[in-house]
Amino acid sequence: MSRIVLARLGVLTGLLGAWEIWAARGNPLLYVPPSRVVPALGRVLRLEAYPTLLSHLGVTAFEIVTAYLLAVALGLALGFALGLPRHVGEIYEPLLAALYAIPSVVWYPSLMLFFGLGSASKIAFGVLLGFFPVVLAVLAGIRAVDPHILTVARALGAGPRTCFVKVVLPAITATLVAGLRAGLALSVVGVLVGEILGARRGLGYLINDAYGRFRTADYAALALLALAVVLIVDAAAAWTESRARRWTEGAAG
Amino acid sequence: MRAVTAPHIEVRAVAKQWRTRDHPVPALDAISLDVAPQEFVTVLGPSGCGKSTLLSIIGGLAVPDAGEVRIAGRPVSGPDPRQMAMVFQDPGLFPWRTALENVEFGLELQGVPAATRRERARALLEPVGLRGFEARYPRELSGGMKQRVAIARALALDAPILLMDEPFGALDEQTRLLMGEWLLGIWARTRKTVVFVTHSLQEAILLSQRIVVMTARPGRIKASFAVELPAPRDLDAAPAAALRHALWDAIRDESRRALDGGA
Repeated sequence: MSRIVLARLGVLTGLLGAWEIWAARGNPLLYVPPSRVVPALGRVLRLEAYPTLLSHLGVTAFEIVTAYLLAVALGLALGFALGLPRHVGEIYEPLLAALYAIPSVVWYPSLMLFFGLGSASKIAFGVLLGFFPVVLAVLAGIRAVDPHILTVARALGAGPRTCFVKVVLPAITATLVAGLRAGLALSVVGVLVGEILGARRGLGYLINDAYGRFRTADYAALALLALAVVLIVDAAAAWTESRARRWTEGAAG
Repeated sequence: MRAVTAPHIEVRAVAKQWRTRDHPVPALDAISLDVAPQEFVTVLGPSGCGKSTLLSIIGGLAVPDAGEVRIAGRPVSGPDPRQMAMVFQDPGLFPWRTALENVEFGLELQGVPAATRRERARALLEPVGLRGFEARYPRELSGGMKQRVAIARALALDAPILLMDEPFGALDEQTRLLMGEWLLGIWARTRKTVVFVTHSLQEAILLSQRIVVMTARPGRIKASFAVELPAPRDLDAAPAAALRHALWDAIRDESRRALDGGA
């Protein structure tokens, strides 16, 4: 094991220890030490605390996947529609970046009004959050394509479609994949936050419910579960990204 | 078939303006030029005289405002990789493709089967001294190597015309001379019609059968010099020196005008 990993484990152990000591002195209703979270996590995972946990997780997974697929589809479509025609992207990019800069939670109340309390508003929020990194990555990627290699491709006989498939797409892959990964993380956040802010099903709903009923240990256990969801999703994204990077090796040169 | 004496490339009264923010800049003014089959012509001129524009128009990458270009008697209406291959000062390699895959690009577009084009690309990289570098990416190659890959990529099209826009302009002097010799070797073997744009008198004298000097912007043909020096050419020998003087006389005023007007 490398020194870095050892050091990380050391830091983690230190933090958990500090948490244990610190939580033991506080109000047990608000502060849960790891020694209480671990058994709670065991009960959650054995489906004792929440017998319907799997169906809640299924709802959340469905919302994340739907939100992300929609975010990618919309992001790619709008990105290419705005980015490929000359100068159009330059017009819209600052606008999109400005919208992106608005704290997205401010949109959520209106999404609930439009889409109701069910899955639709969570999906909409996940789409809204995941969409921006994708569209901005497409625009940035297209803007960074060296016009000279497009000229070269034309001279070698490439028409507009071939230029798109064989030059633009490979040239923007690295940027695009980074944007797709950021979008995925944000879609997950959007769905979970949406569930926490108001839902009747899903992991976020359980988290909010546990906290609302002062089941603090369950709350912490569920938060760890949410963390696991995020980590798994991100690991999958990282794996895909490294594959894509290998595929476009040299794009940075 | 056309008679051998008919020009391979005919440039007829081509004019071109570039539209800039303030005002149109005339780049070419009614320029005409004939290039015979298998001829090696160098277009020499001060920077900004429109020689690159001329080459883009011949290659079908830019559309002239007036006049026309004919290749083997047919008007040019766009890039035609079966007739013309182009090489630019910036090699413009595709960074996500290996050297070999770069050379294959044009063949790929023409639908040549993978095995065939791989073999042809390999056969082109070997004589340019890039054997063993087939799997390298452009960022792993030196400037001279990149340009050789770019030339191999152009040669892979096996077009009868080679248009070269200051292809060695970004290379150091020694590499430039070696690449020139290497290009002459290729030309001697393949006998392509070559139009070679440069601002280097030395390069023009070493390479060409004919040197065409352009005026400062808007570009026109100012003078044409036949180069009848035996190979290998010695730049220090008397005939080369005389030619150099004549070229310099022709180009000096234009360079000065370009300097005055170009600021």
